[in-house]
Amino acid sequence: MKTINLPLLYFVILSSLVLLFSMTSLFVGASNISMADIIHTLFEQGEYDFIINQYRLPRIFLALGVGAGLGLSGALIQGVIRNPLASPDLMGISAGAGLAATALLVFYAAAPVYLLLLTALSGGLIAAAIILFIAYKTRPTPMRLALIGIAISTFLSSGIDFLMIVNPIEINTAMVWLTGSLWGRNWTQVPLIWGTLAVIIPFAFWLAWRLDVMGLGEDCATSLGIRPSKLQLMALLTAVILASISVAVAGTIAFIGLLAPHLARMLFGHHHKYLIPSSALLGGLMLIIADTLARGLQPPLELPAGVLTSLIGAPYFIFLLQRYKAW
Amino acid sequence: MFLSTRHYIALLIVPILLVLTFSYSLIAWSSFPLNFSHVYAYLFHFDDTSIEQQILATTRVPRLLTGMLIGTNLAVAGVLMQGLTRNPLASPSVLGINSGAACFIALSSIGIHILGDVSSLLAAAVGGVVSGVLVILLGGFFSDRANPLKLVLAGIAINALLIGVTRAAVILADDRAYSVITWLSGSLANIDWQDWQSLWPTSLLGLLIAFYVAKNLNLLALGNDIAVSLGINIRFTRFLSCIAIVLLTASSVAVVGPIGFIGLIVPHIARRLVNNNFLLLIPVSALIGSCLIAWADSLARGIAFPAETPVGVITALIGTPFFVYLTIRNKMS
Repeated sequence: MKTINLPLLYFVILSSLVLLFSMTSLFVGASNISMADIIHTLFEQGEYDFIINQYRLPRIFLALGVGAGLGLSGALIQGVIRNPLASPDLMGISAGAGLAATALLVFYAAAPVYLLLLTALSGGLIAAAIILFIAYKTRPTPMRLALIGIAISTFLSSGIDFLMIVNPIEINTAMVWLTGSLWGRNWTQVPLIWGTLAVIIPFAFWLAWRLDVMGLGEDCATSLGIRPSKLQLMALLTAVILASISVAVAGTIAFIGLLAPHLARMLFGHHHKYLIPSSALLGGLMLIIADTLARGLQPPLELPAGVLTSLIGAPYFIFLLQRYKAW
Repeated sequence: MFLSTRHYIALLIVPILLVLTFSYSLIAWSSFPLNFSHVYAYLFHFDDTSIEQQILATTRVPRLLTGMLIGTNLAVAGVLMQGLTRNPLASPSVLGINSGAACFIALSSIGIHILGDVSSLLAAAVGGVVSGVLVILLGGFFSDRANPLKLVLAGIAINALLIGVTRAAVILADDRAYSVITWLSGSLANIDWQDWQSLWPTSLLGLLIAFYVAKNLNLLALGNDIAVSLGINIRFTRFLSCIAIVLLTASSVAVVGPIGFIGLIVPHIARRLVNNNFLLLIPVSALIGSCLIAWADSLARGIAFPAETPVGVITALIGTPFFVYLTIRNKMS
């Protein structure tokens, strides 16, 4: 009897789901456009050129990219810190990047994109450095680390609130951005996130088996020719870069970085060679569903996708707490 | 009851702080210059043709009084919660009571009446109870191996959920987003005498109940068994404390929106000053809480003058580093 290659099967299913929801996302929105029109517009331009090609299509690409970035970032962080409650948003990295980006936009509204990117990155790095310093000094339990991370993240996001309220740009836009949304983005952001992914995904694969070896214990890893501290640093740095750039593109979208790796682990087990691509796929899938819902629930109103992800993510977080036994 | 030197120092410092706070908050950071003579005139020979005195009478005084009462409420609620759960991280904001109340108010104000057409106070109370019960159940407070951190993390998760619901509701149904977002971060900016009127009766009731249970909480701190053997009805004490917490928190949130971290910080400061005696802890926390919020509100006015910052943002900026400090320190003990 031929055994079924289970991971491969899951990958096929996941990829087709991603494709399916991306297609669905093309059809959902404030204006009803028939399928024929959409297909016509995609291949040769037509009267709906703006809505389809300039509005919905870039959003789909962004949702996939940002979701993949967050999911991958979560997988790396959980792999390094070995803490089921760790993720870029619970560790304050997203909020740090968000605060830096908001500050830049408030004080220098016409900032070029690369500057926004660099600022978000440095904000994320600083936040990560703070929490790692605290973790290094106090050696907290996983729970305590999660608490410290959440507190830092609350601090940074009240900083964002402060900037937004003192300098009301356009409060509805601000509110939508605060909770993370893909609204009002266009093609200019697409190369940013996909470019980053194109560089980082191969690197993450390079990290994959090394992270697996790390799971055997630091001594074992050293004897197999891996420098644990260097590897951890590289993986964390990668995770911070991914999370920061996702935030620079779409604002702080909560819980994808936590959920995607957990779901991936349920499906594929603990091997990073599967975890890394599957977390990215699942992250993209989750964000595209959230974004489609955000747009389609009550058009023409726009919900932030971040709100939807936290509506799904918070109960899951509670579920994790219930299941977590190592008090 | 014997008072130590520390208590006398506390009793000396707190009133001075109170008077200073009062006067500073009344006159500072006004877009219309005010000084002490106006306050004096307002208090002793009020003249309703003077603009300065009118400003004091219609905006500054109600704002200060409401703010201080809210500080009192939240601080006392924090003391009760920390006493009840024996968890140094417990407070209305951390355990999700604030955001539960805020969520239900937001839902009822945009027309989703879960309980029919009710006042915002009742909506807040129900919201606070619902989220509080959820957190306590999910946090495993009644399980055998109750873990303080689990309670807090459950609170944070419920918080995230409720804030998500609130934001979604606001964006979907309302075009007055600005007023709601300032209210959601807790602001004292538009307080008038009417708010004060709706605030003080419930607060007074809550504070009286808090004083009533103080002695029982002292005994409860010795451990459940000892408390029972000394004739304390534990359930009744817990029930009354919960009523007080809900009254205090709900009335505050209904008026100014969720203001975080006052209930977390103040009990710790008060415990430094007067130890663990709830009979002293409650009044001292009340005073410190009211001072803290008055200072935070002055800061909220001043930090981006002449724009108003919600005071909740300021308290969060002060409170979260303190929270981190508590989390870290807790490990050592």
